[in-house]
Amino acid sequence: MEWRQKMSRTSLTSTVFLKEIRETLRDKRVILGVIVSPLLVTPLLIGTVLFFAGKKEIEKQASIVEVGIVEQSAFPELVKRLKTDEGFNAHEIDSREAAKQAIEDRTIRAALIISENAQTEFSSNNSAPLEILYNFANENSQYAQARLRNFIGKFDKEALADRIEAASLSENFAKPTKVETTNIAAGSSAGSFVLGLFLPYIIVMSAAFGGIQTAFDLCAGEKERGTMETLLVSPASRYEIVTGKLLTILTISFIASCCAITGIIAPIAFGLEFFKKLVGDSISINFISVVWMMLIVIPLALFTSSLLLVISSFARNQKEAQTYILPFFAVVILPAVLSTVLGAESHIYTAFIPILNISLTMKQIFGDLFDPLYFGISLATSFLYAFLAMRLAASFFQREQILFRT
Amino acid sequence: MIVAENLTKTFRDKKRGLVKAVSNVSLTSEPGKIFGLLGANGAGKTTTLRMLATLLEPTRGTATIAGFSIRDNPQEVRRNIGFLSGSTALYGRLTAREMIQYFGKLNGMSGPELTSRIDELVERLEIGEFQNGRCDKLSTGQKQRVSIARSIVHSPPVMIFDEPTSGLDVMTSQTIMAFIEQCRTDSLTVVFSTHIMSEVERLCDHVAIVHKGIIAAEGSVGDLHAQTGETSIEKAFLKIVNGMEAEDV
Repeated sequence: MEWRQKMSRTSLTSTVFLKEIRETLRDKRVILGVIVSPLLVTPLLIGTVLFFAGKKEIEKQASIVEVGIVEQSAFPELVKRLKTDEGFNAHEIDSREAAKQAIEDRTIRAALIISENAQTEFSSNNSAPLEILYNFANENSQYAQARLRNFIGKFDKEALADRIEAASLSENFAKPTKVETTNIAAGSSAGSFVLGLFLPYIIVMSAAFGGIQTAFDLCAGEKERGTMETLLVSPASRYEIVTGKLLTILTISFIASCCAITGIIAPIAFGLEFFKKLVGDSISINFISVVWMMLIVIPLALFTSSLLLVISSFARNQKEAQTYILPFFAVVILPAVLSTVLGAESHIYTAFIPILNISLTMKQIFGDLFDPLYFGISLATSFLYAFLAMRLAASFFQREQILFRT
Repeated sequence: MIVAENLTKTFRDKKRGLVKAVSNVSLTSEPGKIFGLLGANGAGKTTTLRMLATLLEPTRGTATIAGFSIRDNPQEVRRNIGFLSGSTALYGRLTAREMIQYFGKLNGMSGPELTSRIDELVERLEIGEFQNGRCDKLSTGQKQRVSIARSIVHSPPVMIFDEPTSGLDVMTSQTIMAFIEQCRTDSLTVVFSTHIMSEVERLCDHVAIVHKGIIAAEGSVGDLHAQTGETSIEKAFLKIVNGMEAEDV
């Protein structure tokens, strides 16, 4: 008898779930926000931004930088090199003040101020005093400063080699130590680490926000449209109704996360150049990590879906539900942002903080830093929080003063 | 059959304190009869019907519907009732047929039994032309016909109507009234709430006048005329209600 009752409950829950899914998937707003946008619009936007950013970088590198030289007769060796460098267009400037004005007027981007004794000091194997004048508030001026430093760095390297040779010293004279760094991470885990920096954030946000429209439509929307009473007067219990609705929100949130993951991973997997630039050329995707991440998004989505259902059951209508969403934003966004700042190997207590724990677990998976204890606690606490939020949503559904609030 | 005994519902309101929405309402409605609850807005009709439909739990008292207690066996009660109110809406993104099918499934129907029942209702209520059209594209009259089909898909022995013609035009109201009469012909037990006097005169076998949460008077339309010495239900209603107001003062 008991199993029959259980079967009947499952059957009514699945009836509610299938109807809600069918109706939700006919909602153009949901299709656009949950499927079309993350699969097409987001990759296109990221692609476009990266494409133009890359193009600008290439243009910058190929560009000729306008620089000024003050007191150029004081260091002819360096000035000659600078004037013959194809990357610079060097102008003679009379004074420091004139150079400053020229930078402000943007006729030059940066200026090299050479002190009067520069050549003397240089020839005496001392350091030639130089100053680079630039405007930090101007991006192009910053870039010109970097190019000048790079140029001087090269000059220094060659001059140092000459000095070592002149002094009949070994090449290693200027290198007291010889350090080699070896990255033991496989290509995939290095790439995964980079992905792990931002993917958890995107997944958490899409899991949490992907279900908003559906959650608001399924409860507050039903109250508003007057279909809730019809549903409650059916033989389905409130528990079966709330479970069916929760499963729908969970499914949509999960689809939103999967679409967000696919929207980022697929272009990389297909080897689009501008996406490769995002994560480094050597990247290869560890698909096992991706599958793991999709699995652990379930308790997270269950938690956020339950919270959304609580808000939606409490609100009289969709408009009111939107006013209650602000605390939800804080609950989701703060841990999500925190996860981008904290390292994957954070203290074990973070495994008890909802949302943050799952984000950091994802980070660990992507960085090959998987900790079974951390993972276990995160999973257990996430399911516990989801269960508590679910109970709260179910209790709201039992309360007449909430369901029939006018 | 519906038997309600001393149904009472109180709730707490922030501004008004403890509010008695319904007080000691007892009623009996038999198969093949239409029991009408007549009262002004806020009289307690909807609260009474919501308690009968197990949407609200009574503070005191109880009722049995088709032999099932609303307190002990609410799910069976809901399985045995059809509920239709004027504010009942449909799921806009489902088709008319899907809407009826959904409520059939919620009532435990499936397979050929459900399909043939839907076909029967589609034919009887002339839904065929728009059965595959989305509910949000239907006219008010078409929506009401789908609502009727939805409420009776599981062939309930008891029908509860809460102001079913509220906000409807004359033609659509006639469809609903004809449907309620058909329920009587089919020997269903019908409880019907309204504030429209002409509907009471046309439909009800037994009327209870509800005012401020209590049944102020009851009987057939003729009984109420006799009790008040008036010749119309409207005047009888006003006399009873005004009499209660005068007593309160």
